[in-house]
Amino acid sequence: MQPIVSRRGIWMLGALTALALLSPPADVHAQIFDRLKRATKKAEEVQKKLEPMSVEEEREVGREVAAKLIAALHLYKDEALTRYVNMVGATVAAQSERQDIQYHFAVLDSDDINAFSAPGGYVFITKGAVALCEDESELGGVLAHEVGHIAGKHVLKIVERDKTLRVGMEESKAQMPGSDYLNKMSQGILVKIIDQGLAPGDEYDADQRGLKYAHAAGYPATGLSRFLTKLDQATQQGGKSFWTRTHPPVSERNVRLEKAITAEHWEDADRPNLADRFAAQTQMLKPKA
Amino acid sequence: MNSKLRFGSLVLVSALMLGIAVPLAMAQDNASQDQEKPQKEEKPKKKKGGFFGGLKAISGSSSEQQEVTTTAGSKTVGEGEEIGNAKPTAADRQAVTGMEKYSISQDDLAKFQEEGQLKR
Repeated sequence: MQPIVSRRGIWMLGALTALALLSPPADVHAQIFDRLKRATKKAEEVQKKLEPMSVEEEREVGREVAAKLIAALHLYKDEALTRYVNMVGATVAAQSERQDIQYHFAVLDSDDINAFSAPGGYVFITKGAVALCEDESELGGVLAHEVGHIAGKHVLKIVERDKTLRVGMEESKAQMPGSDYLNKMSQGILVKIIDQGLAPGDEYDADQRGLKYAHAAGYPATGLSRFLTKLDQATQQGGKSFWTRTHPPVSERNVRLEKAITAEHWEDADRPNLADRFAAQTQMLKPKA
Repeated sequence: MNSKLRFGSLVLVSALMLGIAVPLAMAQDNASQDQEKPQKEEKPKKKKGGFFGGLKAISGSSSEQQEVTTTAGSKTVGEGEEIGNAKPTAADRQAVTGMEKYSISQDDLAKFQEEGQLKR
């Protein structure tokens, strides 16, 4: 009698059943697909965190740092002094090699002797620091040092390297003022620049850049070193400044500045240091008799 | 003939077992991952690494802040941390915008530089 199903048929049926049973159910397929999708997204996020910041993103971060500085220390609202600081700042910043951003200058209402710069071109100097200067070349030297930090992207490079800080940057509202991302990022920057200090190499680099900008702008190159000497004396007498707390020793910085001036053969000591103009423009800071 | 049938049955049974075992193993894998998640979350959070570790949120009155610094031992709240915790108001943000929009005319700047014998 002929069997209903041939032997070959039985084998075929067996193989098909095995295949059907071996292939996982649809929900497992979905899980595998979902895992692959998540892994791809994660890889894209990591890639993004490692990318350099765009100028726009840098500006947003700097804007948040600036807002916090103003919230904590307040602007010194004197139109004449703000204008003067902007004039000197614009003069030295014009010599910076970094011209893809605009530089903004402001005076903070603090008697501490400090100057700050934030990514994106924001430069602050306290009225205490302006008052410590004796002439315009010193003010120019300090502002040029801060411009040097921005041009050298010293803070920006740290931020770009620190992946933990960039968590959340891909969220849609990350670039909105006051977002969790910008808040965390600006907190980190302020702790770094004020409490911990940048790497000594970055400070020396900002000194060298500032020296070049000030000299190229027409100021005597010794402005910054004269300011640093006075700052050292002022803090020894109780003046408050994070510059002497977190920056390399003034003696070492001044040695390097002098070496650079000698190496460049800059004989610019006869250039006007503009002490009279400085005194006239900053008279509001002098104690009233 | 019998041995061929036995072999065929063996293949069929193996296939059946594999078909059941694979999805089961995947389901177990998922379940164990789900169990691991809460355990990971329970672990005490380490301080953030990198350059910016050790940020502390400060809220409330200054006496509360004092308590935070005291219980943390010798760690004190740095000036940068205090400034970092500042919450800018709309007026503060407006001041930043004002700083960005502040401009000096090129003529005035040129005159300023000329008077100081500076370079343009």
